Amino acid sequence: MSDYLLTQIINYGAPLFGLILFLAALGLPLPASILLIAAGAFSQQGFLDWVSIAVFGFLGAVFGDAISFGMGFYAKNWVLKRFEGSPAWKNARETFESRAGMAVYLTRFLITALAVPTNLIAGGSGIRFRRFLIYDSLGELTWVVLYGGLGYLFGSQWELVSDFISSFGGLLLGLVILGVGVWLGTKRLRTTGVNAKEKVSEA
Amino acid sequence: MNNSMNTRQRNFIVGLIVIGLMIIGFFGLRTVRAFRQFHGHRPPPPFTGEKAETDVDLIRDWMTLPYISITYRLPPNLLYETLKIPPRGNERKSIKQLNDEYYPEAPGTVLELVKAVVRAHLPPPTAAPPDTAIPADTAVPALTPVPQAVP
Repeated sequence: MSDYLLTQIINYGAPLFGLILFLAALGLPLPASILLIAAGAFSQQGFLDWVSIAVFGFLGAVFGDAISFGMGFYAKNWVLKRFEGSPAWKNARETFESRAGMAVYLTRFLITALAVPTNLIAGGSGIRFRRFLIYDSLGELTWVVLYGGLGYLFGSQWELVSDFISSFGGLLLGLVILGVGVWLGTKRLRTTGVNAKEKVSEA
Repeated sequence: MNNSMNTRQRNFIVGLIVIGLMIIGFFGLRTVRAFRQFHGHRPPPPFTGEKAETDVDLIRDWMTLPYISITYRLPPNLLYETLKIPPRGNERKSIKQLNDEYYPEAPGTVLELVKAVVRAHLPPPTAAPPDTAIPADTAVPALTPVPQAVP
């Protein structure tokens, strides 16, 4: 898939690149970060105009994110019907809302595998669209400048950067999942401990 | 009810930790390997539009012939002539697509031919320092004879 898309980006340039990033932001499994690094390299080699790449890439990603936020927003009623009574859902929602800005910003460029789920959760929570858009735009701008810039810097050797970044992104995802597991586990142990103490004092 | 909820919660947490550790293991190894390859590579000097790419090993299956011609500063039709295929209709096809179309029974032929042509047309190397001089017996490989393309 990556190879086919790389050929087409060489052939059709920035508009196609923007479209791919748009579709990736909607949740289609496309290698957006790899293509962004490659596009940076192509613009260094003079095949693509770096301004067009940056503008189309940024707009495509932000529009895609806005639509997936909208999908989360319109699925809210269904989610609420199913989970509204659950204390875990309430807790998760409050935790997310208190850190939503940072979560949206960081998932744009650091833990990109969580970007689409974050958009859906943000849309389904009480976060205002304007707030989401500000953090989303900042995050996507960082992503375009950082990844595209690395591609531009390394030119024909962009594959080295891309291998490292995609593996590192996976490593970060693993650390986040482990971190959430450990956090929930610690919380559960504490709750169990408190309940046991209460039972002992009642007895 | 409470017990089954607790068991489900516990399984979920254990699952998260196990999956997290598996992902860390898998991508950790890949990251170390990629870092080793990446380490020691400095960004190449900026592409000024005058200096051609010279590393033939960077040619890949997804590249098109016009892309390779421009990157390696080759005459526009040289690759088409060598491969004995018309430029018209083939400008946007990747090396892999050209191979599938014109040399279906010999996978990798177009890639190897393109590499050989590029290698043969590389600009002469600039004077190397004495300790890194290329041994005299390291000959540049001759062009591989071109198999007959399927019309």
